[in-house]
Amino acid sequence: MKRTKGFSGSHGGNKERKRTMFLFTLPMMVLYIVFFLVTMFIGLFYSFTDWNGISKSYNMVGIKNYLAVLSDSRFRKALLFNIKYTVAIVIGVTLVALICALALNSVKRFSTFFRSVYFVPAVLSMITVGLIWNELFLRAIPQFGASIGNKSLSSSILANPKLAVVGILIVNLWQGRAQPMVLFLAGLQSIPKDLQEAATMDGAGRWARFCHITMPYLLPTINIVVITQTKAGLTIFDYIKVMTNGGPAQATEAVGLLIYRHAVAEGKFSRSIAESMVLFVIVAIVAALSLKASGKSQVGE
Amino acid sequence: MNKSKSNIAIKAVCYIFLFVGLLVILYPLFLTVITAFKTPTQSAENFFSLPTGFYLGNFKGVFERGNAASSFANSIKVTVTSVLLIIIIIPMCGYAIARNMEQSKYYSIIYYTLLIGIFVPFQVIMVPLVMYLGRMNLCSITGLIIMHVTLASSQGVYLMVNYVKSVPRDLEEAAYIDGCTTFTGYLKVVLPLIKPMLATILVLNVLWIWNDFQMPLLLLNQSPEMFTLPLFQYNFTGQYSNDYNLAFASFLLSMVPVLVVYACAQKHIISGLTQGAVKS
Repeated sequence: MKRTKGFSGSHGGNKERKRTMFLFTLPMMVLYIVFFLVTMFIGLFYSFTDWNGISKSYNMVGIKNYLAVLSDSRFRKALLFNIKYTVAIVIGVTLVALICALALNSVKRFSTFFRSVYFVPAVLSMITVGLIWNELFLRAIPQFGASIGNKSLSSSILANPKLAVVGILIVNLWQGRAQPMVLFLAGLQSIPKDLQEAATMDGAGRWARFCHITMPYLLPTINIVVITQTKAGLTIFDYIKVMTNGGPAQATEAVGLLIYRHAVAEGKFSRSIAESMVLFVIVAIVAALSLKASGKSQVGE
Repeated sequence: MNKSKSNIAIKAVCYIFLFVGLLVILYPLFLTVITAFKTPTQSAENFFSLPTGFYLGNFKGVFERGNAASSFANSIKVTVTSVLLIIIIIPMCGYAIARNMEQSKYYSIIYYTLLIGIFVPFQVIMVPLVMYLGRMNLCSITGLIIMHVTLASSQGVYLMVNYVKSVPRDLEEAAYIDGCTTFTGYLKVVLPLIKPMLATILVLNVLWIWNDFQMPLLLLNQSPEMFTLPLFQYNFTGQYSNDYNLAFASFLLSMVPVLVVYACAQKHIISGLTQGAVKS
């Protein structure tokens, strides 16, 4: 890079600035194009072929993979699992995070201590948390069940096709409520104190204040939490991979895991990409809402 | 009188709730710690009992049987290198976009192109990625670092562009008039101003990369010598599923570094994660 001295005139400075600014964007753009966009387009291309990931030749098959995906009962079952899971986790995380935030916000003593502990799960890896709970479900809870004479607790709930999803939800909730909780806390702290006091003076009860003052202030945050949790629920992978690996009997096979299995274990390479593109469309709609909502909340601030 | 009584009642309910919550959060972690220090016989007798002494055999076992040490080193290598690159490359790009996207088409085009990444779930590139990187011989630590930096771009640039826009131009302009080049102006004037957002991006990415499982699983699962910690734990637990005290020792080993960092930089971590979630 040649240095252009400031006093050499604004024209030279401008030229130097334009060049430097362009160079500033270059490393990121090269990486992004070579490793992200190209990868995505390669995927898009192969989703129109019948390639199995190994063989030397393949044929163009048009939208056959997409039709197969949409009529595949395994895929539909996985998608249904994701939708149910997402609904449960969105409601669960939002409620628990909100309740924790409200409780933390209304105590003064030890509040810093409570806050730091309540946030801890957010910094741990989903893998560690999932694996720890795996062992707890397998060893601790049955032992606990035996000691109180409860037989239904004698085996891991993760081994039960009907209850496995509950186990995953518990773990997801245990960890996933931590980050939304601090968002809610920040929202609660943005409520002007005098507004609360004025309402109390006017004789507004606790519930009325919650509905008419607290909730309107929290709405943008609730919006964000709902949307980020929806995205997380639709693309869930880590917990399921380590806790049930989709089992028992495919009861917890989420779309993310199905794609992974089709590609890595079952040689349905092009098919799995078509599945991921369908997931893309669903998530893109959610993510578009997310950008809109976060734009709104910034205006709200 | 009545009011203050109900206030006290509510406070009491809050404290009870918070205390129960505390147990729910800490008890699994507590069990992890005690199990890691117990012998298999002790654990088999009673999972919940306290260890009778500081038995370190499990930790020894983890280091002897698995490649725990090399996985730890790999995780550090991957996280430090990726994050260094991220906090060099992303602010430069974000700054250039924020200052030029109104005047120049190029910058607004790359901005919106980068934003596409926010909409794309990882699963979309997951499958072709393995094949594509495999052909370039990049199913390795280097490939993992490249992908972390690449996938950090969308959110990072988005956060940075919005932040830089809120920083007034006056100071940089003054520096340019004083004879600074764009690069030295960026280094001496702009970077100090955008430090808070740098901290946010740093925290977000350290946690993501240190804890990431999906990408190492895809790229490195064939080569144990390249494992990162999450991948090591996953494979180790699968391999020694009967000797679960070992597994708990490995969980503890991988949690301690993050918890130490959390204890030291709690404020930054919480505010970083908060801002990242609000704006991504």
